[in-house]
Amino acid sequence: MAFGKSKTPGLKVHTTWRKALARDWQLYLLLLFPVIMVVVFNYASYPGLRMIFMDYKPAKGYDGSKWVGLGTFEKVFRDKDFHRSLRNSIVFNLLDLAVGFPMPIILALILNELKFPRFKKVTQTILYLPHFLSWVIIGSVAYQLFRPNSGIVNIVMMNWGLIDKGIPFLTEKWHWAVTYLLIGVWQSMGWGTIIYLAAITSISGELYEAAMIDGASRWQRMWHITLPGIKGTVVTLLIMNLGKVMNSNYERLDQFGNTQVKDFQYQLAVYIYDKGLAGSKFSMATAVGLFQSVVGLCLVLIADRVAKALGEDGLI
Amino acid sequence: MRKNLQRVFALALTGAMMAGTVSAFAAEEATGMDSWTAFEETVELAIPVYDRGAEGVPDVSNNYWTQWIQENFGDQYNINVTFVPITRSDVMTDYALLAAAEDLPTVLMEYDYPKVAQWAADGYLTTIDLDEFAKVAPTYYQSMVDNNQLIYTALGDETYFAMAERPYYNTTYRYQTWVRMDWLREVGYDHVPETREEWVDAMTKIKEAGICEYPGGGFMIGNGSDQTQPWRTYPMDETEWAIHGDYNILPLGWEPNYKLLKSANADYNAGITNPEYYITTQEDAKANFVNGKCYSYSDYIGPVMDTLTAFYEANPDAELAIVPAGATSAEVPAWRAENPFGMIVGFSSFASEDEIKAAWMYMEWLSQEENLFTFQWGIEGENFNYDAETGLPVAVSDYDGEYKQGYNSSKDYWCIVIESKEAGTIEQVVEANTPQDLPQNFTEDIIQFYYDRVELAAQGYGPSDCQFSVPIEAQSEYLTTLQELYKEYRDNLTMCAPEEFDALYEQYAQEYLDAGYQAVIDERLEAYEAGNTTKLPIYE
Repeated sequence: MAFGKSKTPGLKVHTTWRKALARDWQLYLLLLFPVIMVVVFNYASYPGLRMIFMDYKPAKGYDGSKWVGLGTFEKVFRDKDFHRSLRNSIVFNLLDLAVGFPMPIILALILNELKFPRFKKVTQTILYLPHFLSWVIIGSVAYQLFRPNSGIVNIVMMNWGLIDKGIPFLTEKWHWAVTYLLIGVWQSMGWGTIIYLAAITSISGELYEAAMIDGASRWQRMWHITLPGIKGTVVTLLIMNLGKVMNSNYERLDQFGNTQVKDFQYQLAVYIYDKGLAGSKFSMATAVGLFQSVVGLCLVLIADRVAKALGEDGLI
Repeated sequence: MRKNLQRVFALALTGAMMAGTVSAFAAEEATGMDSWTAFEETVELAIPVYDRGAEGVPDVSNNYWTQWIQENFGDQYNINVTFVPITRSDVMTDYALLAAAEDLPTVLMEYDYPKVAQWAADGYLTTIDLDEFAKVAPTYYQSMVDNNQLIYTALGDETYFAMAERPYYNTTYRYQTWVRMDWLREVGYDHVPETREEWVDAMTKIKEAGICEYPGGGFMIGNGSDQTQPWRTYPMDETEWAIHGDYNILPLGWEPNYKLLKSANADYNAGITNPEYYITTQEDAKANFVNGKCYSYSDYIGPVMDTLTAFYEANPDAELAIVPAGATSAEVPAWRAENPFGMIVGFSSFASEDEIKAAWMYMEWLSQEENLFTFQWGIEGENFNYDAETGLPVAVSDYDGEYKQGYNSSKDYWCIVIESKEAGTIEQVVEANTPQDLPQNFTEDIIQFYYDRVELAAQGYGPSDCQFSVPIEAQSEYLTTLQELYKEYRDNLTMCAPEEFDALYEQYAQEYLDAGYQAVIDERLEAYEAGNTTKLPIYE
C-alpha cells in the first residue's frame, strides 16, 4: 500500500506504514503523547455533553438525572446575568485582541533589529518573565501598586504634584478596563514574540543583503521583507485568536475583580464559576461551555474563509 | 404478713435487678465501642477539614495529629483515615467539584442549614437511620438527645444529619471585639462607647485629633456579614423573623437591613470607614489593626491569638478594652445567637455502608472524653500544662514543636463532635480559652460579658435563626446569585452620596426581589404557615 506521494514534481516516494514506523518510530513516539492529551482532554469528555439536556445531579449520575430537553439553554438565554457576561466577554476579548495582538509583532520586529546579542537576550528574558507569573501574583501586586489611596503609583504621583486625588485604576469600571487590558498585554506580549521571532529567522538572509545593496533603509527592510515574510504566521495566529473571542480567563478576572467593577468584570468565565460550579448547576455550566466552543469554532471557520478569499493560506 | 410482704418485695427487687442486669448486658453487648470489631477489608474514611490558608500551622491533611488518629483509631479497626482539605472561603464550590468528580468525602459537614439542605436536595447526602446510628455511636447520639438536637436531624420525612454540640450557643461569648482604649482616653472617653451616638462621636474625635485617618476600618464583606440583629425591633415579629432572619441570604429590602446600610453609608461619607474597605481582605484588616490604622478588631477567642500578640509587639504601650455586651454601635445590643448545634454532619451518598459505619465509629471514638481531651489540648508538657491551683489545663501559647496543633487548637478536626474546648465552670472555661501571655488579661471582662449576655438573652436579644424542617428549594436555586448580588449592591449603597441612598436602595431592593429573593421569602412563608419551622421563644 502506498503511504504517500510527494507533491514535489519529479520526486516519487513509495513507502508503507511498517517501513515508516520502523524508520521514524522515535518521532511517532513523541507524537503519541500530545495525541493522547488531545484525546483525553478534548474528546473523552464529549459524552459528558449530554448533561446539558438533563437536570444533572452528580450524585444521581446520568442514569438518575432528569431529562429536560432544551430547558437548560432556555434558562441560560433568559438569564440577565448571562447577557451581561456575554456582552463583556465579547467586548473585552475583542479589545484584548485589538490591543494585545499587534504588540508581540511590533516587539518581535524591534527585537529583530537589536544587533548587540547579549542585550537582545537579556531583553528577551525580561520580556518573557511575566508569562511565568501566576495571575494571583500579578493581581496582588497590581492592587498594591494601583489602590486609589494607598497604592504606590498614586502616592508617588500625588507626592510629585501630578494629581490631587488618587486615580481609581482598579476600582472604577472605565479605568479598570484600561488597566486590565494593559496588564494583560504586558503579561503576554513577551511570550508572544517567540513565534514571530522564529518565523523571522526563516526569512532568507539573501533578501536582506539584496535590499541593503539596493539601498533599502532599516525601516524599508522591515516593511517590505520582514513583515511580508511573517504574514502567514500572523494570519494563522489571528484566526486562532479569533476562536478565543468567547473565552475568558477566570484567574485573571478573579484576581482583578471587586464589587465596583463587576459591570465589566462579570464575563462568561465568572458566570460559569458562580452559577455553574459554586451553585452546583453543572448543566448550565456545560451549556455555556458548549455555546462558547460552538461560537468560537464558527468564528474560526469564518475567519479562515475570509483569509482564503484574501489570498492567504488560512488555517484549515 | 409482714414477712410475706418482705419476701414479695425481695423477689420483686431481685427480679428487677436481674432484668436490669440482663437488659444492660444486652445493651452493652449490642452498642458502642465494645461492640466494634475491625473490618475484614480496609475501609476508606475521608473526613473534610477546613483549609484556612493560615500561616504557621501544619499541613491540614498530613500532620502529627492526622497520624495520631490513624494510629489510635484507624489502625485499630482497619480503617484508612484521610483528611480532605476544604477551602474555608469557598466551601460550596469545593464540595461541588468533589461531587462532580464523584469523590465526595465520606462525611460532609457545615455550620449552615441552607448549605446542607442544598446538598441533600442535590443528592450528595444519603439518609440515615438514627436507631442504627445510636447503636454504633451511643455517646454521640446521647449528646444529641441531651442537647435537644433530634428535631434538626430531618428534612421533610427523611433523616440526614447528626449534630455536633455547641456549648453556650446562645451567648456567643467566644466572639469578642477589642478596641483602642488608649485612643478613647486621648479623646476624653473613660469607657467604651455604649451607643451609636457615642460611637460616632468617638470615631469623629479620633479622626479629627489625627490619631487615625479611618478609625472605623472595614474590609470586604463575605457571606454571613451584615447581620441585622442589632437593627431589629424587639420583641420581633415572628413571621418577619422566619422569612427574613436568615444570614446566608441577606434581607435587602427589610427595614433592619435598610437601617444597617444607611448607617454604613453615613460612616463611609463621614470618613470613618476606610474608603478602600471593599478591596481590603480580612487579613489586611488584621494587619491594619496591628499597625494602628483602625480602632477595633474582632475574632473568636483562643489561648493563642497571633493578631493580639503581634499587636502588643508593635504597640507595647497601647491599651485595649473589650466591648461590653451591653454596648453597641448600632441600635440595640443584640446579636445572632449561634445555632443550637455545631457542625451539621451528613454522609455521602457515594459512600458504602461500611464507610458510613466507619464514619460513625470515628465520631463515637472522638466523643470519648480522653480522646477528645488529647485532640483538643495536645500533649502534656508540650502543648499544655496543668495549673497548680485549679488543676485545669493551660495551653502553651508559643508552642512550635513536633506536636503543633492545627488552627485554633485543631478545632477544624474535632468540630465534628463539639464546637469549643470546655473544662470546668464557665469561669474556668473562659480562663482556659482567653488569650495567654499578653500584657493585658481579659479573663474577667469576658466572664462579665458572658453573664451580661445571659441576661440579655433572657430578654430575647440573642435570637437564633429560624430553622426549616422542609427543604426550601428556592434557597438552593438562588443562594449564589443572591449572595453575589448582595455584595455588589451593598458596596454601591455604602459608597453612594447620602442623598442618593434612598432611591438606590429602593431600586436594588426591587431588583433583588426579582432576582430570586421573592421566591425565597414566599417559600419560607409557606413553610412557616404550614408549621414546618422552629418558633421564636416567648420572653417575659
